[in-house]
Amino acid sequence: MPTPPFEGKGKRPADEIPEPGRYATARGFCLTSAFWMIVAASAGLLGATELIAPDLPGSLAWLSFGRIRPVHINLVLFGFVTPGLLGAAFYYVPRLLRTELFSERLGRLTVLAWNGALVAIVVSLCMGYTQGREYAEPVWPIDVLVVGAFGLIFFNLALTVKNREEPLLYVSIWYVLAAVILTAVTYALGNVIWRPDSGALSGIPDAILLWFYGHNVFGLLLTPLSAGVAYYVIPRACRAPLYSHTLSLLGFWSLLVIYTHIGTHHLLQVPVPTWLKVIAVTDSVAMVIPVMAFLINIWYTARGRLGEIHADIGAKFVFTGTVMYFFVSIQGSMMSLPQVQRVTHFNNWVVGHAHVGVLGFAGMIAIGGLYAVLPKISGRPLFSRFLADLQYWLILIGVTGFTVVLTVAGLIQGNAWLNGETVYRVLGEIHMYYIVRAGLGLMVFSAALIGMYNMARTLFPRKGGAP
Amino acid sequence: MIYPYFITYMAAGLILAGGVFAWALKNGQFKDQQRARYLPLEESAKAGPPSDLSRIRKTELGVLAGLAVAGLGASGAAIVFSLLQNRP
Ligand code: HEM
Ligand code: HEM
Repeated sequence: MPTPPFEGKGKRPADEIPEPGRYATARGFCLTSAFWMIVAASAGLLGATELIAPDLPGSLAWLSFGRIRPVHINLVLFGFVTPGLLGAAFYYVPRLLRTELFSERLGRLTVLAWNGALVAIVVSLCMGYTQGREYAEPVWPIDVLVVGAFGLIFFNLALTVKNREEPLLYVSIWYVLAAVILTAVTYALGNVIWRPDSGALSGIPDAILLWFYGHNVFGLLLTPLSAGVAYYVIPRACRAPLYSHTLSLLGFWSLLVIYTHIGTHHLLQVPVPTWLKVIAVTDSVAMVIPVMAFLINIWYTARGRLGEIHADIGAKFVFTGTVMYFFVSIQGSMMSLPQVQRVTHFNNWVVGHAHVGVLGFAGMIAIGGLYAVLPKISGRPLFSRFLADLQYWLILIGVTGFTVVLTVAGLIQGNAWLNGETVYRVLGEIHMYYIVRAGLGLMVFSAALIGMYNMARTLFPRKGGAP
Repeated sequence: MIYPYFITYMAAGLILAGGVFAWALKNGQFKDQQRARYLPLEESAKAGPPSDLSRIRKTELGVLAGLAVAGLGASGAAIVFSLLQNRP
């Protein structure tokens, strides 16, 4: 027989505190996410168009593909998805701990620093200042700013945990704290922050270190932050307790142990030490443990309650994200097998996987988290459910379409590579897929605009308008 | 040169995790798992107001619908165009 919920002392039952600065940090991160999603998607769209028409940017070096691609990637990761997931976390962490955020002022400062870093990323990359390592392109001063921002977030959340009224840490708290501190550490290490000039080691060791960090961006930042949001949003939407908290902790600890060192699966075709490859491949397959522990838990919590999920727009995004997580993880485990990777490496297959993962899984959950907390942090209903549904479908069709066309294009490229065909012939063959991809990208871009509008109207209603 | 970096890197994660795990065990974080299942539900009863479906001004609706149609239309056109242009 389950015990009833804890009747904590709740030193300041949050619902009763109407002061204006409340949830300022959560709001800040929500707006950050919605805004930068637009910029990130437009950079993706521009990049996709340049793949169709390479002469498009002409002599405008700052718009060239080599600069726009890293802008797109850094902005989707650190501009759209991470702040979205953090926006929800800054709401749910204090709630789950029955206390207030340690410092909203510090939170606001973090949001500012974060946005400063994003602007600096766009400007510096467009100007051609780059360290040239994928996912670690930004130059040293920006690295310091990013690590500092993660440090501030950890400090704020850790002190919130310290001040808590609820003794038990719910699994979402574990996930968000781990994500933030591990990213602060791996970002500093992976960006070789102790070498400001190059931001790199030399030779193969640099590639290995880079991919330890690179994969940790997905595995130790986006995945745990997304899991944290899902574990909060789904039980609430279903009005049912979590299926098993023990299972969720098992998933959490196994993720920490397994995910921290599988980065070498990005380098299976590179002369790195075999023992590292063996660890990477074995643990990539072992990832099925944390993945299924999470999915079984969420899906069993939602079993028989899909109606409730459908009715709640936040949960609808989040639940869809969990389905995408299933696909991306199964696909990822397969792609880690050297035989499979002979065909799928170095081509659009991986770009397809990347969009299912970062947009379909983490991005969907980030948007779901935003919609779940928006009414709470604004004290108003969502401006328009219709627009949110429209956004949902545009993204769903967009990301599914991306997966199909990029996978097909990837298979064509992979087979051509194996057959020793010349590159210029293959480029013609995949041209049509690039065009379809750009078309689908337009849908994702429109969805970003719609999301921003809906959020802005929810947070800033017209004076004298309906509540 | 390769080994010290990576072994340190992997070990750092595991040691950090091991330390926190020990704290969690001592702090009783693995007890009372039944109650933990209910934590997110705490203030569900006071759930926020239901979301609003209407109240979009006519013009706004028009612009947004236009945007969506433009997005969908462009995607459709791109697909049709690419199918027609790329016939072998
Ligand atoms: C069990 C889980 C997963 C496994 C085993 C896995 C495995 C892999 C492998 C082997 C690659 C390299 C492919 C190649 O270069 O040939 C890869 C790439 C990638 N994965 Fe995953 N993946 C998993 C989950 C995810 C998730 C959840 C995300 C997103 C949140 C993600 C995002 C990416 C991205 C963005 C890349 C592209 C990296 C690049 O730029 O080359 N993956 N994954
Ligand atoms: C807003 C949500 C989006 C997310 C989270 C996202 C994520 C990503 C990621 C992680 C990569 C790196 C892939 C890799 O290295 O393997 C990437 C690359 C790319 N994305 Fe996106 N993306 C988004 C939207 C878009 C849109 C709307 C487009 C427009 C078509 C687009 C076009 C591209 C292009 C062209 C690349 C470079 C691929 C290449 O180098 O061949 N993305 N995206």
